[in-house]
Amino acid sequence: MTPERMAELVARWVRFYTRDLPEPVAQRRIDEIDADLHDHIAHERANGAGEPRIAIGIASRMARGLAADAAWRGHQSKIAARPSTREKTMKVSRSVYRSAVRVALGVALLLLVPLVVTLTSDGEAWSAFDFVAAGVFLAAIGVVIELAVKRVGNLTLALGIAVVGVLAGVAGEADDAPGLVLLGLVLIVSACALGLRAWTRPAQHGR
Amino acid sequence: MRRKPGTLLPLETEILEVAQSMLRSGQATFHGFGLAHAMRDQNGSRSLTSHGTLYKALGRLEELGLLSSHWEDAAAVEGRPRRRLYALTGEGARVAERARAGKTIAPLAPLTSEPA
Repeated sequence: MTPERMAELVARWVRFYTRDLPEPVAQRRIDEIDADLHDHIAHERANGAGEPRIAIGIASRMARGLAADAAWRGHQSKIAARPSTREKTMKVSRSVYRSAVRVALGVALLLLVPLVVTLTSDGEAWSAFDFVAAGVFLAAIGVVIELAVKRVGNLTLALGIAVVGVLAGVAGEADDAPGLVLLGLVLIVSACALGLRAWTRPAQHGR
Repeated sequence: MRRKPGTLLPLETEILEVAQSMLRSGQATFHGFGLAHAMRDQNGSRSLTSHGTLYKALGRLEELGLLSSHWEDAAAVEGRPRRRLYALTGEGARVAERARAGKTIAPLAPLTSEPA
């Protein structure tokens, strides 16, 4: 085999192990090895080495570097897989947006109950202030739950919230405090949602 | 070979030492094959360092800020493939000097920048 044929074989190997890597990284390695092979052949010929000896020398350099090539590719793949700062920022923004939408929808659905009662009943009527106060209160609970889910996201937390909800409901019934009963109901519903999320999505510890 | 973070492999130390001796002889930059050739001459070895090992080590030294590199000017190429030229940085020269003096090399702070 001629040195040029062997160099072509090496070049093919380089193209193989740089496939799917970022183009600048792959092209740099390909160009560096091309230059190296050219210099190697030119140098050995200038020194009067025989063609088979040059070809064997090139093959030897390729074969001895196979493990390092594979390790280099693994390292470069890891670097390429790391999300950029912009991607991280976009991911956080999307997550915050989704949390805000979930909390807003939850608050709106829960406030529908007193709104319907206010509109259809003569005795029970919430003022605008009541709705605002309840909305702020429910939104605060929603934000806390969202934060808890993101940081913990486990069934234990859901169970804890459910217990507090039941206690609030029982205490509210005993003291004839409908607000406390409503809070208990909100907490129980939240605990169910939390438990469902923790069940369908594994815990996200350490995020 | 497993390594502790921030430490150099013997090959990487050798590259720095050879680069420094080339610098002393007036060659401020070097390319891959030239380095492999110089290392073979200095070691009295029969074979050249393999492609994979050599360029992986060069990349790591660049990541550590001990070498810098750039493509040579197209005008200087004269019909052959363009070479990537490497040069010792100030920190690289310091580490090479300490290695040559036989001192323990201080752990290097890993840099976040990636090679060009």
